[in-house]
Formats: sequence, structure tokens, C-alpha cells
Amino acid sequence: MGSILNPLYTAVSWVIISIHGLLSPIFGSASGVTWSLSIIGLVILIRIILIPLFVKQIKSQRALTALQPQMKAIQTKYKDDRQKQSEEMMKLYKEHKTNPLASCFPILAQAPIFFALFTVLNGIGKNPPVKHGVLTQADVVNAAQAKFFGAPISETFLGSSSTTVKIVTVFLIAFMSLTTFTTQRQLMVKGMPKMDSSNNMMLQQQKIMLYLFPVIFAISGVNFPIGVLIYWSTTNLWTWGQQYYVIKRNPTPGSPAFEELQRKKARKAGTVIDGTTIDEPRPEGDTKGQRQQPKAKKKKRK
Amino acid sequence: MKFLLVAPIRFYQKWFSPAFAPRCKYYPSCSAYAVTAIEEYGIKGVAMAAWRLVRCNPWSHGGVDYVVMKSQKAGI
Repeated sequence: MGSILNPLYTAVSWVIISIHGLLSPIFGSASGVTWSLSIIGLVILIRIILIPLFVKQIKSQRALTALQPQMKAIQTKYKDDRQKQSEEMMKLYKEHKTNPLASCFPILAQAPIFFALFTVLNGIGKNPPVKHGVLTQADVVNAAQAKFFGAPISETFLGSSSTTVKIVTVFLIAFMSLTTFTTQRQLMVKGMPKMDSSNNMMLQQQKIMLYLFPVIFAISGVNFPIGVLIYWSTTNLWTWGQQYYVIKRNPTPGSPAFEELQRKKARKAGTVIDGTTIDEPRPEGDTKGQRQQPKAKKKKRK
Repeated sequence: MKFLLVAPIRFYQKWFSPAFAPRCKYYPSCSAYAVTAIEEYGIKGVAMAAWRLVRCNPWSHGGVDYVVMKSQKAGI
């Protein structure tokens, strides 16, 4: 296991130490600001590297709007057979060489990096500090002293008796949980296609997880060094912002955000739509010279 | 044995997967594929599932991809 992760330790520590080297002349090499920004810089770098994937996904989302009629046809044709419906949908995507789905790759790619960072920062937090990757003993000792709002970035909530550390960790854990919660909720409320009653069970579980995830984070967060909490908070914030952008600008067809955007576009074009009637087929004359409003993906049954 | 391998996948499907937006490029999803593969091929199924996860990446177009059953291989 170590041999697989060693190159990652090297990479992660190298990025941190490089940013640290760049920022040292400005804030000073022992400053907590320098070390905190180095961690934040690492997050930003990783997320920037992942942006092309994200753009690719958005592009295929857009391509999907053109496939709406076919998708609707499939949905009506196999409306009582979910399996067939999904199958046909996947075939359609493949045929058109577009797939709006992200795959697990973005998550799986970030996991080892997170794990490596955790180990590197945890090493800094040990007493005496343990070095990983390209960090020197002087670097780790230096980093262990670095403070984030008065609390050493290597300290954990449980490992320290200092009030400052407790306050800072609690604040970061709360922030972490809150960003997870809002990101999840934003997606559930606005970003996903509306579910029909056959998905009730799934909806229920989603709701449970919505509240459970922040709790899990809060419980595990007390063991995380402040550096890791900074990493996690930043990456959460980024995820939230990215998702906000997608939901606003490129919503999934069939989701509430999608309808909202369609309404907005219609309003701009001069047609007034009275909110809820978007589901009903509009009379021909009403949409003169305008593109037909795409209907909500899933209509209420019965 | 097979149960031990399948149980965590079932747990994931029940509790974790619903919390995220659908993201599978393939049908059936990797977890469903893994369950079938393990039930059909045992340990070898784990490797098949792992390979499926690798195949599901940003450069693939996804599609319908079922586990090939032993009976299908033999007969036709």
C-alpha cells in the first residue's frame, strides 16, 4: 500500500511546499497564512485540473437538449418498464456519442489525493512531527507551528486542550457540515429530475442521508487536524459553487431548475407563462414563432 | 463468501448511492453489475467489477453492458 501511495505523498507535499515557497516572501515562511494558503492552493490546483472534465460534462448536457424529443419518446414508450427505459436511454446516448453522466471518476480521482494529504498533514500533527514526501524535518517542524486563526494547523479537536483550537475546529467542522448539507440540498431540491411516486423509497433515503452526512462529518471531524479541515472546507465550497453554476446555467432537463430557466428564457422572449401550467401542452397560437417549451420530464401519473 | 462480498455493495446501494446525483454512464450501474458478476463468478466477479469501474471514465460513452452469464457463454 505504501509503495502505491508514496508517489502521491511526494506529489501532494511537493505542491504544498512549492506554493509555500512562492508565498513565503510575502507572508513569511513560518506564518500560518502561508501554510493555510498552501493547503487551499492545493485544493484549487486539483479542482482546476478537473475543470476540463467538468466542461466536457456540461457540453454533453447541452447536447442532450437536442435529444429531448427522442428521450421523451423513450419515456412514454417504456413508461411502465424502468429497466427498458434506462437501457434505451443509454443506447441513445451511446449512439449520439454523448453522455451527460459524470461517471465516478472525479470522485475516485480525488480520494487518493485526499488520503495522501490527510497522511501528510497528520504527520505534521504528530509529536514529534513525522515527515512525508519531499518535506524536510525543518518543514514539518515549521508547519506544525503554523497557526490558523491562532490555532496550530496540526492540532485536532480531540487532541488539544486549548480553547482556541476547540473554537477554530468547531467552526471549521460546522462549516464543513453546512456546505455538505447545502450542496446536497441544492441538488435534491433543484438539480435532479422530479421523481414520481415509484421512487418514494429512494427519496426517503436521500432525505435521511441529507441529514446523516453532516453528522458523520461532525463526528469524524473531531479527529482531523485543522489543515485537513481547511482542505475539506475549501473543496466543499468549490463543489458548491460549481454545482450552483451548473444548476443555474445548465440544469438537467426535467429538473425544477431546468423549468425555471426555461421560464426565464420565455419571459425574456416576451411570452408570459404563469408558473405552474408549464406541464400542459400549450395551444399552438400561444407560442407564435417560438420554440415549443420542453415539457417536464416526468408528468404526474394518472 | 459471495454474501460477504455482495453485502457491502447492497449497503452502498441502499444508503449511499441515493444521496448522490445519478452518475452512471453504463446500464446497469457498476454496483448492480458487481452484484451480478460476483453472484455468477465469485472472486473473478470482483475483478470484473473493478474493470467495469475503470471502463466507466470521462472518455467512455457508456452504454448498455450486462454481465455475460456462464449459460450464455456455453450455449447460445
